[in-house]
Amino acid sequence: MSRWVISGLRQGVVTTCYPTRMETAKGTSPGLPARLTPMADEFGQELVDVCPTGAIHFERGEARVDYGRCIHCFRCSRSARYVLEWESGFEWARFASDGSNFVKGAASWPKAFRKSMHIRVVDAGDCGACLNEVKQLNNPYYNMHRLGFFITPTPRKADILLVVGPVNDHTRLPLQAAYDAMPTPKLVMAVGACALSGGVFGPSFVTGTGVKDVLPVDIEVPGSPPPPLAILHGLLVAAGRKPPMPGQDGR
Amino acid sequence: MFFTVFAVLFLAFSVAGIVCALLSPERGVALSLGCFGGVASVAMGAVGVCALISDTPFEVRLWSVPTVGPLMLSVDKLSGLFLLVSAFVFLATSIYSVEYLQAYLKHFNLRTLSVCYFAIMLAVGLVLSAADALTFLVSWELMSLFGYALVNYQKRDEQSTRPGYLMLVMGEAGFVAVVLAFLVIGGRGPGNLLFSSLRLHSASLGWHARWAVFLLSFFGFGVKTGLAPFNRWLPQAHPIAPANVSAVLSGVLLNLGIYGIIRVNADLTPLATAGPGLVVLLVGAFSALMGIMYANRDNDMKAMLANSSIENMGIITTALGAGLVFMTFHQPLLAGIAWIAAFYQMTNHSVYKSLLFFGAGAIDRNSGTRLMDRLGGLSKHMPLLAALFLAGALSICALPPTNGFVSEWLTLQCLLQSSVLASRSVKVLFALAGAGLALTAGLAVTCFVKAYAMTFLGIPRSNQARQRARVRFPIRLAMGLGAVSCLLLGVLPTYVIPILGRVSELLTGVNAAAALVPPFFNGAPGHSRLPHSFLSDFHNLGAQVGQNLLPAPGLVVLHRGHAQNPVVFAMSTSYMLPVLILLASTLFLAVRFVLARRSKTVRKPVWAGGLASLFPELTYTATGFSSPVRVTFNAVFHPQMSEERLELIAGHFRNSITRVVGEVHVFDRVLFQPLVNRASHIARTLSRMHHGRLNAYSAYVLGTLFVVLLLSRTQVEEHVVLSPALILIVALILDRLL
Repeated sequence: MSRWVISGLRQGVVTTCYPTRMETAKGTSPGLPARLTPMADEFGQELVDVCPTGAIHFERGEARVDYGRCIHCFRCSRSARYVLEWESGFEWARFASDGSNFVKGAASWPKAFRKSMHIRVVDAGDCGACLNEVKQLNNPYYNMHRLGFFITPTPRKADILLVVGPVNDHTRLPLQAAYDAMPTPKLVMAVGACALSGGVFGPSFVTGTGVKDVLPVDIEVPGSPPPPLAILHGLLVAAGRKPPMPGQDGR
Repeated sequence: MFFTVFAVLFLAFSVAGIVCALLSPERGVALSLGCFGGVASVAMGAVGVCALISDTPFEVRLWSVPTVGPLMLSVDKLSGLFLLVSAFVFLATSIYSVEYLQAYLKHFNLRTLSVCYFAIMLAVGLVLSAADALTFLVSWELMSLFGYALVNYQKRDEQSTRPGYLMLVMGEAGFVAVVLAFLVIGGRGPGNLLFSSLRLHSASLGWHARWAVFLLSFFGFGVKTGLAPFNRWLPQAHPIAPANVSAVLSGVLLNLGIYGIIRVNADLTPLATAGPGLVVLLVGAFSALMGIMYANRDNDMKAMLANSSIENMGIITTALGAGLVFMTFHQPLLAGIAWIAAFYQMTNHSVYKSLLFFGAGAIDRNSGTRLMDRLGGLSKHMPLLAALFLAGALSICALPPTNGFVSEWLTLQCLLQSSVLASRSVKVLFALAGAGLALTAGLAVTCFVKAYAMTFLGIPRSNQARQRARVRFPIRLAMGLGAVSCLLLGVLPTYVIPILGRVSELLTGVNAAAALVPPFFNGAPGHSRLPHSFLSDFHNLGAQVGQNLLPAPGLVVLHRGHAQNPVVFAMSTSYMLPVLILLASTLFLAVRFVLARRSKTVRKPVWAGGLASLFPELTYTATGFSSPVRVTFNAVFHPQMSEERLELIAGHFRNSITRVVGEVHVFDRVLFQPLVNRASHIARTLSRMHHGRLNAYSAYVLGTLFVVLLLSRTQVEEHVVLSPALILIVALILDRLL
């Protein structure tokens, strides 16, 4: 027993300093391309063609990146003639633009979750990447328990439904059932590009365009997969303890 | 004078019941059993009440038998109490049988059952009123035989009659021991077998003889009571018996063992040393613990209830043993309280156990299964049955303010009173017994939460449990009678304790009820026994509430100590009930109208892990519920699992895995199996003598003769006992050889 006490003390605190301070360690986030870049028409069209998920739109001399579709494949920063600026950071979570049960960020946003929140994770056809990132939240580095976030096995005790995956046909009814089984007030958080827009999968013959087809989504966390810190930011936004990503209207 | 009337009425209606059962058409047998049985049991109860009220026992001198002496019947207060309790069970069972037996109408001969039922009623009456050893033993034997006939009533094949046969065999072994005990008491004695003369004679017994009497009678009656380790027959006999027979078996016949133990060890030969009392105490606590452990494990409702009967009998025996020890330490008041606790527990057990067996029988009949793993959700279409069963389950869990709570609380308080005893080792043993009973009480709650929840709540686990059925009036009446009695016995202990106090006064000579129920209601003369400050303290607490409404000394059970410690223990379920109701309703109203004022109720289907609907297989089973207990007491249950794998294609492709979990009962494993092995080993060794050589046989005869002669040369007076035994052995050997 004494050995692990000593080694533990010697190790010190390994947990991330986020959300007290910004985490700046390398490798905690893959980053996303800059949202808005002015450029010439020829380059812009090329960028649109390079993007595999159609996340880049080019209008009136500006290349816009839709974070809801971006899978940070880096093609726009590597292969194109005009590369996009790459932004590090992970505070990407935002209020969903439509369909939410609550007025985003307003006084009517549920205050019950400020101190603690119980999370029911639903895998709605996920490839495993987002789930893996969600799993990391429990490890000593991210340690979400210190913030009062807990994963619960039953939706009956859950405050927020964390959905990963594009919602394929076979997971639609269970997802709906889990949402129905939750007590109010309840939030829905869509995590990952697939859950936000169908990602690389949808819309297709088995999947739609993400969770918002089925449930009213309140919080969206872009990324494919979003790093654990991004999910943590999403949870903090849901709890009303952090502001969402600035200047993002959801499109 | 009323005695004779009621006794004759009881006899007349029982005999009339037998005659009616034989003469009436098959269809009417159940009804006649109900009517005549009901009236006869009321008469039986009236005899008991008369005996409890009157100060002198009711005695009838029967004819005199040559060489044995006069035969006599006598109903004293002890018999009266047992008669009353038995009468209650018989009354409820008679009512219940009217409806319950309809299912047996086409398949079984109801006449046999009816005749046996009345016969066992008569035999029980006779056992309880016998005042001489011969009548007692004969009626005891009759009771055993008719009990066997009733338990094995639904005989189908040889396998299903084995438990009944085991019951008979163990009962007979006990009977032999009881006969021997009576022989020791009256061996060189008074010339007749009347209890009164045995009582006089027993004072002259030496301590060897006293121990012999105690051990023999405790074993003999303990087998019938279901005390460990000779109770293996009980959980096997109950599942094969009809439910009404089970109720009689648990509610009446087990009590008779208690009656025997008290009659012999507290009345006929009062114990002189603490040893036997401690044996009773520890065996009781051990039985209680073992009983409830196995009750937790069993998923067959009736086997579970049978094991719970063992537990309750253990609690009664523990209180009984505490009383015996207190008597030998010259503490008649504490002994009286302990025996009041024992009698209270016995009464309660008869009431709630018959109620629970009725419930189990009704469920068995409607659903065709008693396995809790296959039941579930019955409260939806049998709400009344569920409520009545719940009343019984709460009582047996000893939750206040039900009757089980009062008696178990008194029992545990008695065990705590061991601090007044001088011997330290006795105190330790009392503490052990108390700890055992406390654990038992906790496990009992687990057990009956399982029994109620798995049977009545949740969703049906089989098609049988889904069947809709009506519980008809006689069954509801019989169970309602039990449930109401449970509540009354629980809420009004101060009315019950004085009655039980009269019985314990007979045995101890001290009125313990007066020490347990202080006269808070009485006027000045009653109050003069209590110090003024003490009284005013309790008046401030409200102990006199209800003074002008109820005829009783008070509603508080309170044992007074000396000056430094004025209240040793105190409790009042009577006041607890309104307070509990008030608290519960306040809480309900607070939640309903204050806390939940702004929220609204939304009904959604049960969460089934995302499946369309909840399968019965997904829900909590009885086995799962009792798993923590089984894991904790793994050393006792000691399950053995054998696994068989079928791998047809290659070594790593498993086609099927069959797991068989087998359990051998701890008594069989630790005690009986080694005994049987040892005995058969000895028999095998001895059988080598039978090799057929005539010369050797002659040598055996000569050798025996030589030994006998040798012994008789040095014979002294004490060997008188030995020589018949030797002659017997010689005779046996000769018989075997020639």
